[in-house]
Amino acid sequence: MRRLAAWLLWLWMAAVIVAAFHWAPLAKDFLGQSSRILFFHVPMAWVSFVAFMTAGVASLRFLAGRRDARRDRSAAAAIEIGLVFALLATVTGAIWARIMWNSWWNWDPRQASIVVAMLFYAAYLALRTAITDREARARLCAAYATLGLIVAPFFYFVLPRLGFSLHPDAVINLRGKVDVEPKMLTVLVASSAGFTALFFWVHRLRTRLADAEERLLEGVE
Amino acid sequence: MGGPTWVTAVNLVIWTGIFLYLLRLERRVNDLERDR
Repeated sequence: MRRLAAWLLWLWMAAVIVAAFHWAPLAKDFLGQSSRILFFHVPMAWVSFVAFMTAGVASLRFLAGRRDARRDRSAAAAIEIGLVFALLATVTGAIWARIMWNSWWNWDPRQASIVVAMLFYAAYLALRTAITDREARARLCAAYATLGLIVAPFFYFVLPRLGFSLHPDAVINLRGKVDVEPKMLTVLVASSAGFTALFFWVHRLRTRLADAEERLLEGVE
Repeated sequence: MGGPTWVTAVNLVIWTGIFLYLLRLERRVNDLERDR
């Protein structure tokens, strides 16, 4: 059953790739084919946010519940994957910025805010490596990642809208309406759904690997 | 092969590679948990 779901995901994402390059029209006011990168850039940024929220919820459940170490490992796995997706979103965004704005990096509020969010979560990983006592590490890291439930929405949705930004805001904007061509929106939503499913698959695998690693360490000690 | 077709092909190869790697990883994790 799980194998079938995996193959369905492959088919879904393959269809998204073909639709992104051959079915969706080009966005107006974008240079050349550059708008097509948004079908991957936006979902990657979205998945990084989902990952950080997943980590926050797992950490909150760790603190509020029976201090189950699996929830701590689940949060760490989500942050690792979230950082990879945030980095990919930043790189694809820089490629797009080079085409549109003739500069890889512009200190645009959205570029800066995702970097600050990445630094916040990179500090989480640094915190994990700095504490050797497992219980103390799990407790402190859970408190830090729970704080992310406020920090991440602020950096992803609030800070980029406080000042002037060159960044397009066609999907989530202050005007309260979606300014995207219907075919483009279909591909964008389908891509976001596919990337989200991919995140939960990888997250589950990473958590199970971390569990296996923990069992191995317990066996050695 | 034109621009978008070439990029589509490269993307499909990358996605298929990641997908097959994840399937293999899933099988290995299953074996690991079964051997426990």
